[in-house]
Amino acid sequence: MADGSEFSLRWRSSRHARRLLTLGLAGLFIATVARRPEFAGLAAPALLLLAAGRSQRRPPQVRLQARLSTRRAFEGELVAIDVAAEGQDGCSVRWTLHPGREIEPAGATDADGPQARFTFSPQRWGRRQVGTVDVVLRDRWRLAEGHLTVELPALDCYPAPAQQRTQVVLSRLPNRLGEHAARTFGEGIEFAGVREYVPGDRQRSINWAASTRRGRLQVNTFAAERSQDVVLLVDGTSDVGEPGSSAVDLALRGAAAAARAYLDARDRVGVITYHWGAVGWLVPGLGRRQVYRIIDSMLASERGGAGSSGAGYGMSVRRLPRAALPPGALVVVFSPLLDQRFVETLRDMRERGFTMLVIDVLNAEPPARSGSTNRMARRIWRMEQEAIRFSLRELGVPVVHWDGIGSLDLPLAPYSRRPLMTAGSRR
Amino acid sequence: MTRPIAIRAAAILLGAGCVVWAAAPPVPKGLANLALVLAGCGVAGGALRLILGGVPVPRDTFLLPAPVRAWLWFLETLRRVPWEEGAVIAIAWLEVLHSSRPRHTAILGAALIAYLLATHLAESGATVTSLRPQVRVLAAGAGLLALGAGAGMLPAAGPGAGSALLRLVAAAALIAAAGLVLPYVAPSAGDDGAGQGGRWGSTERRG
Repeated sequence: MADGSEFSLRWRSSRHARRLLTLGLAGLFIATVARRPEFAGLAAPALLLLAAGRSQRRPPQVRLQARLSTRRAFEGELVAIDVAAEGQDGCSVRWTLHPGREIEPAGATDADGPQARFTFSPQRWGRRQVGTVDVVLRDRWRLAEGHLTVELPALDCYPAPAQQRTQVVLSRLPNRLGEHAARTFGEGIEFAGVREYVPGDRQRSINWAASTRRGRLQVNTFAAERSQDVVLLVDGTSDVGEPGSSAVDLALRGAAAAARAYLDARDRVGVITYHWGAVGWLVPGLGRRQVYRIIDSMLASERGGAGSSGAGYGMSVRRLPRAALPPGALVVVFSPLLDQRFVETLRDMRERGFTMLVIDVLNAEPPARSGSTNRMARRIWRMEQEAIRFSLRELGVPVVHWDGIGSLDLPLAPYSRRPLMTAGSRR
Repeated sequence: MTRPIAIRAAAILLGAGCVVWAAAPPVPKGLANLALVLAGCGVAGGALRLILGGVPVPRDTFLLPAPVRAWLWFLETLRRVPWEEGAVIAIAWLEVLHSSRPRHTAILGAALIAYLLATHLAESGATVTSLRPQVRVLAAGAGLLALGAGAGMLPAAGPGAGSALLRLVAAAALIAAAGLVLPYVAPSAGDDGAGQGGRWGSTERRG
């Protein structure tokens, strides 16, 4: 509807016209029955207004336009929609917005005039219908109303990224220029140590204080700066918890935050979304736009389709191409760990040598009911969950819990302070 | 007092005035008391609708407590019932219960038209200037109202001669003639100056 479409109107008498008609008919009726001509005079102004109002122009169709200020928005972000009517033939226009699901109006939902602007904010990620707008055209004397209901365009709502500033860095980084200080010497800026001068060393790297103490020329050495491949593995199987803070909500928000943090550190970031054994993926890439590609890919997987180019859908984790899951990549998993097959997949990946970090996004429990059996079942469920997390930790997979409210830096702090040991370096 | 409040107050006072004007002096016949009660209820309901018209109604009322749901039901009833139509019929009924008093009826007719126009302005949020294109038609209507009152004041030609019917036919003929002439007298839709907010930023919003 952005370029304008013609819509037919349903015209009917306004409330004002119905009142005038009531007065006119009542006056005429009384004048006839009671034979009192003054009541005909009483009816005359109302009937004259109605008769004269018939000459007002009432267009059978009107051209409407609706334009969103943006096609994509994050949760809670303010979005505006501009609506405009053309060809209303001098009639006044009134707009009434009826917001769709998970759409919260941020201002008035009624407006007058041929053009109007409504502001709203989508409350939850996904493809959201903005809603419908009722258009009422009134002729100049407001004796007739033309009604029309139009569906507004849809909006892609992205999950609001959580806060994450720090990154978890692998102890063994691929030989690619980046921003993380590696354990090998190189041409970075982070001081790594002092060694004896050898011919070919740069004169400006000589450490004169150390040279004076030792009596021989010493040079400073620096850590190499490398980047890493990061793959975000998002489990969308079990959407438990309250809408808005469910496991999938938290997983998407956490993954969006992680993608932003690692891409800011010049890492290559990709995503794999897991749904009941099938996966969708986006190969790791660089740059600011990759954040949006990743979120698009996650949302497309939620809808059960493939994302943009470089993405795929439908294969199992075991048969993922190397491009989607590069060897030596850091795999950051967002999952409530409720699906046994997904837990088995994690174990399998660990055995294949991937370095993983699991962020547990489970924030719900079975409802508390009275009765010893219910209490026992709840306790067993908790023990099972503990056992799953314990078994992953035993395999060398760190599991941290994130409540979805605070920053992701807090649960990741033990692993972001020092490099995370890669699977190969532990053996 | 802001303009919308003044228009609302005018509508309410005009409605109350019409009821009093039509009821005075009280007549003990033809269910006059019932008509008076109905007229009062109609005007009071219309007044409440104008006063509470801006109260927002939540979209989802399913989980609201019973008192709030009762309040919302009351608001919905206020908005749906045609209070003014009922009041107009009851007021006309009250007036017809009195013996013929054409001048009194003509004033009542003018007050009723003013009441309906004020109610329309109050609920639509329009200003009084929006009635400017209708001034000529209203003037013609006022003339017909005066003619009707004049016809009512004419002495009867004689008992049983159908003089009242003759007067009625004359009044109806006047109305019909005016209706035929009106399309030429009334301003066309394009030539009046009642402009609308056609630019960005001129859109008027109400909460």
